[in-house]
Amino acid sequence: MTALPAQPERELIELTGHIIDSLTLAKILDLILEAGADYRIIDVDIGRTNLDPSTVHLEVTASDHDLLAALVERLQIHGANRVARQEAVLEPADRDGVLPVGFYATTNLPTRVLINGRWLTVDNPEMDCGLVVDQSTMTARTVPMHRIRAGDLVVVGMSGVEVDAPERPRGASPFEFMTSEVSPEKPKALLVAEVARRIGDAKRHGGRVLAVCGPAVVHTGAASEVARLVHDGWIDVLFAGNGFAAHDIEANVLGTSLGVSVGEGRPVEHGHANHLRVINEIRRRGSIAAAVDDGFITGGVMFECVKRGVPFVLAGSIRDDGPLPEVQTDVVAAVDAMRSHLHRVTIALMLASTLHSIATGNILPAGVETYCVDINPAVVTKLGDRGSHQALGVVTDVGLFLRDLVSCLRDRAHG
Amino acid sequence: MAELTWGRRYLMCPPRYFEIAYEINPWMHRDVTVDPDRALAQWEGLRRTLEEAGADVELLDPVPGAPDLVFTANAGFVNAGRFVPSNFAHPERQVETPHDLAWFIQHDYRIDRLPANVHYEGAGDSLPFGKVLLAGYRTRSDAASHVHLSALLHVAVRSIELLDDRLYHLDLTFCPLDERRAIIAPTAWDAYGRRVVASVVAEPLVLSADEALSFCANSIVVGKTVIMPCCPPPVGRQLERWGFDVAICAVDEFLKAGGGCRCLTLPLDIDLTTSVSPG
Repeated sequence: MTALPAQPERELIELTGHIIDSLTLAKILDLILEAGADYRIIDVDIGRTNLDPSTVHLEVTASDHDLLAALVERLQIHGANRVARQEAVLEPADRDGVLPVGFYATTNLPTRVLINGRWLTVDNPEMDCGLVVDQSTMTARTVPMHRIRAGDLVVVGMSGVEVDAPERPRGASPFEFMTSEVSPEKPKALLVAEVARRIGDAKRHGGRVLAVCGPAVVHTGAASEVARLVHDGWIDVLFAGNGFAAHDIEANVLGTSLGVSVGEGRPVEHGHANHLRVINEIRRRGSIAAAVDDGFITGGVMFECVKRGVPFVLAGSIRDDGPLPEVQTDVVAAVDAMRSHLHRVTIALMLASTLHSIATGNILPAGVETYCVDINPAVVTKLGDRGSHQALGVVTDVGLFLRDLVSCLRDRAHG
Repeated sequence: MAELTWGRRYLMCPPRYFEIAYEINPWMHRDVTVDPDRALAQWEGLRRTLEEAGADVELLDPVPGAPDLVFTANAGFVNAGRFVPSNFAHPERQVETPHDLAWFIQHDYRIDRLPANVHYEGAGDSLPFGKVLLAGYRTRSDAASHVHLSALLHVAVRSIELLDDRLYHLDLTFCPLDERRAIIAPTAWDAYGRRVVASVVAEPLVLSADEALSFCANSIVVGKTVIMPCCPPPVGRQLERWGFDVAICAVDEFLKAGGGCRCLTLPLDIDLTTSVSPG
């Protein structure tokens, strides 16, 4: 992963008057850039007639405190004034698992909070959480509701909190034109090659790749491709449910997925119970790892995860058979387990999974590049609608996608 | 060409106590003495020229201890019976304001004050042109004064940054001649200011840097008469081509303090409510 850049110094300035026609705004913006600083226009209120003043709020950022202070002083000559920022308001939680009334509800975007005159960058952006500040270490982190402890200092209200606008991954085409608008019309080969390139870049910079897999990965016969990615070290952590793991093991042990022959695509006799029998055997051995150790499982995604030491979280659901011993049936504990594996994850591949993709999208910072591969455009749309705006949709058969991806990554590895 | 709608009524202050008592611009040197008789004669000459050109002159009583009170252009800005007094940048000149205020109150002007924390030096740093008020800043007036000035006067303001300490007021760099023409000294402004003036003044008479330093832009226009402290020949020729009569009024005693003809007069008949329309 790329080292986090040092947090820039920032000031909010206000400029008001006939600043458009007097070219004062243009001058101010030029002066900021010429000084080696940068700006973000927070809001602009253009006067209705040429008698009405216009007002602009700018956030000026610079790498260096002295540079920024000198610049702000220079800007004052032209009528731009520093605007004092309001501090965040903190309130202690009065009981475990409950946020104070009026708590600030987080987004998954990069977030800063102003405490005692210092902007603290939130360590772990996650949507729909509370924001807890530790004044002894001067750190701020998102904390889900159930993990709040009495006495935690929680940010209430909006003042003193800033989020950065969503940013899409930048880079060469085809991603320049790609947005979360899902379309089956996009050139898949180029997209897959670009995803492969980005995975390669992420790994080279120390980033980790998360795969979230749905059972359709196995049904479409693509589990072997995911197994290959795990084997070759491209995937660092796996999130799935009972179904994916069960069918992956079923496919390895019995050659079927939900009773259908993976090789021939035909239902096998009494195959509907195959996954139950497999789950039962894993339960007999106590764990998937034990089943790998004693030779019951000899291949597949779960096998490779065990062999390669790639951590996985299997989250349970209300309709699970068995379930497999590793499945976390307490969903709150399951999501906590998922959170614990997000460290340094910079790319997430959501592979033909709806529920687990959305659950993962909920806990990912917006900065994690997320590729949602599904034959159903609605899944991608749903992720975006639920706040995971960073998700780029690839509407295609997951099997085709994975075969191409494996091929691209092998070319990269060998090229 | 439509003449200026203003410039026929001025406030002046006799130079009885005029001297170089302090140094607040590069022209002022305390070791330079003012010849009081000559100063008075030059001031009388200017007053007479104004009246001969058709302008009325009203008088502000001089006050000991306020030598620059003679430069009435800096007292404030008059618009349609309202007076916005200056907030002088230098303490040396802040003593003038009570005397200016007293005169305008006595003459039934309504007083509109700027916030105390912004500097502004009146007609010295603001001159109407067409539909806008050009306003200088940096050396004496603050850019932050302009938004307040605009609100008080109900006029669109164009802010011009003044770069040259020697040309420390806008009226040393800009002189409206009529509705389309003005004498301008762009070397005194930054690039943005030049662009702004270029967008406002249809036919500029552009001064060279040397011409600007002669103070020839610090002139008074009464109808078709331009009353100038000096007039470089190319400037005079252009003014005559445009049909103006040039009247030279020597005010070199006042140039010792960095002021010319315009600085010695404050227009009382500006009415931006008629010359400015919204939109």
